[in-house]
Amino acid sequence: MTYVDLKDIRVSYDGKNNILKDLNLSIEKGELVSLLGPSGCGKTTTLRVIAGLIEPNDGAFVVDNKNLTRVPVHKRNFGMVFQSYALFPHLTVKENIGFGLKLRKEDKTTMNQKIQDILDVTGLGELGDRYPKQLSGGQRQRVALARALVIEPKLLLLDEPLSNLDAKLRVQMRIEIKRIQQKLGITSVFVTHDQEECFSISDRVAVMNNGVIEQFDKPEEIYNRPKTEFVARFIGFENFINLTKQGEQTYTTSEGHVLKTGHRWEDGKQVATIRPDDIVILPNGAEQRTNVIPGKVVVRTFLGKSYQYEVDTTVGKILVNGSKETAYPSGEELLLYFPEEKLILV
Amino acid sequence: MRKHRGLSIIAMLVFAFLFIPLFIIVVTSFGENPTIQFPIQGFTFDWYVNVFETNSLIESFYLSIQISLLATILALLVGIPAAYALARYSVKGRNIMKSFFLSPAMIPGVVIGYALFQFIVIQLQLPIFQGLLLGHFLISLPYIIRVVGSSLDQLDFSIEEVAWTLGSTRLRAFVRVVLPNIQAGIFASFMLAFINSFNNIPVSQFLSGPGVTALPTSLMNYIEYNYDPTVSALSVLLMVGTVVLMFIIEKTLGLAKIS
Amino acid sequence: MKNKAPYILLTPGLILLIVFMLLPLVTIIWPTFYDGKLTFGSYLSFFQNQYNVSVFWRTLSISLIVTMICILLGVPTAYYIARTSKKWRGLLMAMTLFPLLTNSVIRSFAWINILGTKGVINDLLMNVGVISEPIKMLYTDFAIIVGSVYLFLPLMIITLVGVIENIDLEMMEAAETLGANRFIAFLKVILPLSVPGIIVGSVLVFSGTLSAYTTPQLLGGNQKMMLSTFLYQNAMTLGNWQSAGVIAVIMIVTTIIVMKLFNMVAAKLDKRGGEHA
Repeated sequence: MTYVDLKDIRVSYDGKNNILKDLNLSIEKGELVSLLGPSGCGKTTTLRVIAGLIEPNDGAFVVDNKNLTRVPVHKRNFGMVFQSYALFPHLTVKENIGFGLKLRKEDKTTMNQKIQDILDVTGLGELGDRYPKQLSGGQRQRVALARALVIEPKLLLLDEPLSNLDAKLRVQMRIEIKRIQQKLGITSVFVTHDQEECFSISDRVAVMNNGVIEQFDKPEEIYNRPKTEFVARFIGFENFINLTKQGEQTYTTSEGHVLKTGHRWEDGKQVATIRPDDIVILPNGAEQRTNVIPGKVVVRTFLGKSYQYEVDTTVGKILVNGSKETAYPSGEELLLYFPEEKLILV
Repeated sequence: MRKHRGLSIIAMLVFAFLFIPLFIIVVTSFGENPTIQFPIQGFTFDWYVNVFETNSLIESFYLSIQISLLATILALLVGIPAAYALARYSVKGRNIMKSFFLSPAMIPGVVIGYALFQFIVIQLQLPIFQGLLLGHFLISLPYIIRVVGSSLDQLDFSIEEVAWTLGSTRLRAFVRVVLPNIQAGIFASFMLAFINSFNNIPVSQFLSGPGVTALPTSLMNYIEYNYDPTVSALSVLLMVGTVVLMFIIEKTLGLAKIS
Repeated sequence: MKNKAPYILLTPGLILLIVFMLLPLVTIIWPTFYDGKLTFGSYLSFFQNQYNVSVFWRTLSISLIVTMICILLGVPTAYYIARTSKKWRGLLMAMTLFPLLTNSVIRSFAWINILGTKGVINDLLMNVGVISEPIKMLYTDFAIIVGSVYLFLPLMIITLVGVIENIDLEMMEAAETLGANRFIAFLKVILPLSVPGIIVGSVLVFSGTLSAYTTPQLLGGNQKMMLSTFLYQNAMTLGNWQSAGVIAVIMIVTTIIVMKLFNMVAAKLDKRGGEHA
C-alpha cells in the first residue's frame, strides 16, 4: 500500500527550466528508498520537496492519504539528516537532540528518557555533554541521525549523509543506518550518488536523470536489468553496441556479426550493453561462432582481481576483464564472447 | 527567498533612515533661498557655482587630496614590507608587533590629533603640514597592515620559494611573484586608507593652520559660520565622488573586498 | 642573514610609530602623572568636578545607547541582507557601504537640516499645526544619539552580514524540519550564532561613538559635550593642556576596558567548546 506519493511534481526556479519534470514516485510504508543519480539530476530537489523546503510549482505530495503539498516544513514532522549534518554548534549533543522535543513541549522526564534512549540506539552513550566541535565525523553523523529520529518522524530523509566520511566509516555507518531504520521500521528516503552505497542499503532505488526517474526497481533488478542506456552507464555497463534486428532475439552488428540475446527486443531499442566482467575471452581456435567478435588488445591495466583490456574491435573499443592467470600483451588478437543472457538491450 | 515580512519592513525602514537624510541634502542644494530649506523654493545651480568660487573650500580640497595621497603612499611603503615580515617570518613577539602596528586605529582620533599637535607643532615647532601628513600616515597604516596582511596570510609562500629555486633573487621574487598575487589587497587597502584619510576629522581638526586646512575641517568651519546651501552642494559633489570611487572599486575588485 | 631580514623590513614602520605616535602620546600623558613626583592628583581633581563627571557619563551612556540601538536595528537588517539573493545582496551591501564612505561632516550636517529649529521636522509639525513653537532637538543628547546611530549603524550591519552569511543555511532548515517556525529558528539558531559578530560590531560602534568628534561637535555643540569635544575645547580653546591630557588618558583607558569587557562577554556567551577533545 502506498504511504508516500509524489504526483506529477514539477519544480522550476526561473519559470523556464524545469528541475523536476512531472516526477512520480510512490513509496510503501517501512521502505527505504534511494534516489540515485549524478549531481544536478534533481535528487536533492526531490528530497527537499518532500521535506517541504521547496514548494513544487505543480503536483501533489501525499503522505498517509493526507495532502501535504502546502504544509510548511516545521509542521510536517519529518526527520532530516543534512549532508553537512547542520548540527547547532552552540548546543551540546543532548541539546541538539532535545531541540525538536523542546519545541513539542515534552515534559522534562520524558524528554530526558527519550534523549537517553536515542543516544543508546545510535551508540553515542557518554557523549551527551560534548559540543559538536569536540566530536569526530562519524559521531557527528550519529548525532544528526539521533536528532532526526528522536522526534519520532513519519518519514526519515537523508541527504547524502555519508559523503563526508572516509571510506571505512562510510561502510560502517550505512550498515548502522540500515540497522536502525529496520529496527524502528521508519519509512526513509536516502539521496546518494554512490551506487554501491545505494544498492547495499535500499529496498528500492529510483535512478534519476535530468529531473525524471529513469528506473524505479529493486537494487538487484537495476543491477542486472537496466532499462535505459543512462541507467546502464551509471551503474557500470561500459560497452555499448549498436544493433540491427534480424529475427526474434537475433541481431547483427554493423559489420555483420550475429548477436543473440536472451532478452526481449522492445520497440525503439537498438543498443546492446554488457559489463566488462561478463565478456569471456575465448582460447584461440575456439569453435563458437555466434556472439563472438574478434579484436586486438590496445591497453592492459591491472585491477587487482583481474586484468582489464581495452580491445579494438569492428564495433569500437570494448572493455574486457580477464583473469589474472593470463596476461595478454598489447597487440594480441582476441576472440570476445558475449554470453546471451548477459547481453542486455537498452 | 524565504524571508519574514516583519523582517522586510524593518530592513526597509533602516534603509529609509540611511538615505532620507542624504536625499534631503541633495534636494536642498538646488534651493534658491539663502538658508537651507526643505522643501525648496525655486531651482538653481548657484550654490554649485559658489562651491567653486569659495577659495577656502577649493584650496582645502586640493590640500586634502595631496595629504591623503602622500600619507597613503607613505603608509604603503612602510606597511607592505612590515606586513610581509609579519606574515612570512616567525618573528619574536609577532602578535605584539602586529597589535602595535594596528594600534593607531585603536587610539581615539582626537587623542592622536592632540598628541601630534603637542609634539610636532608645540615641541618640535615643525610646520603644520608635516604634522598633518604624519597624522594621516598613522590613520592609514592600520588599513594597510590589516588588508595586505590578510592577503599575505592567504598566500602560499611556496610560490616564492619556487622562484628562488629557479634562480630569482629575494627582491626579484618578491616583486615578480609575491606582489602580483597580493595586488588586489594592496589596491583595496589603498582605497580604504585613502577614503578614510580624506574623510578624517579628529586628527585634521588639531592640525590646521593658515593655508593648511583639510577639506572636512573647512567644511565644518563653513557650517558653523555660514549655514547656506553651499554646504549641500559641496556634499552632493563629494557624494558623487564617493559613488564614482565605489564604482571603480566594484569594477576592479568587487566591493566585497573592502567591506 | 635570514634572521635579519624581517627586522630590516619592520624597522622603518617601528621607528615612525615610536617617534610619531608613542613619543607624542608620552608627551601628553607624562605631565598628567608627574608633577615633580608621581601623582594621581590630576585625575582625582578631574573626577571631583561635577561637570567633568557629567561629560564622562554622557559619553558612556550615549555610547551604550547607540550600541544597543545599532544591535536592535542591525541584526534584522543584516539577516535580511544575508538572506537576499546574490544579485540583490550586492546592491544592498553597496547601499550600506555608501553612507560609511561618505564624510561624517556631511552625515552630521544632514541631521542639522532635519533636527534644527527651522529643520524639516519642526517645519512639518508647525505646518500641520501639531506644535506652535519649534521643539528644541538640535544640541541635545537625542541629536547626538540619532547622529551617532546614523554614523555607525552601517558598520554594525556590514560586520553582521559577514558573520550571518557564513552561518550554514542548512542549520536554519534543520531547525525547521525539527518543528521550529522561521521566527523561532531565527531566535534559537541564527541569533546565538551571530553573537561573535554582534560583539565585534558592538566594540566598533561603542568605541566609535566614544571617540567620534564630528557628530557631537555639530549636533551636541558646546551645550552637550562628549569627551572628544571636551578634549578639543580644553586643548585648543581653553589651552588647558593638563586637562586635555587627562581626558586623553581617560578615553584610551575607557576604550581598552570596554573592549576587554566585550571580549569577556563574548567568551562567556560563545560556549561552543574547544577544539577536538
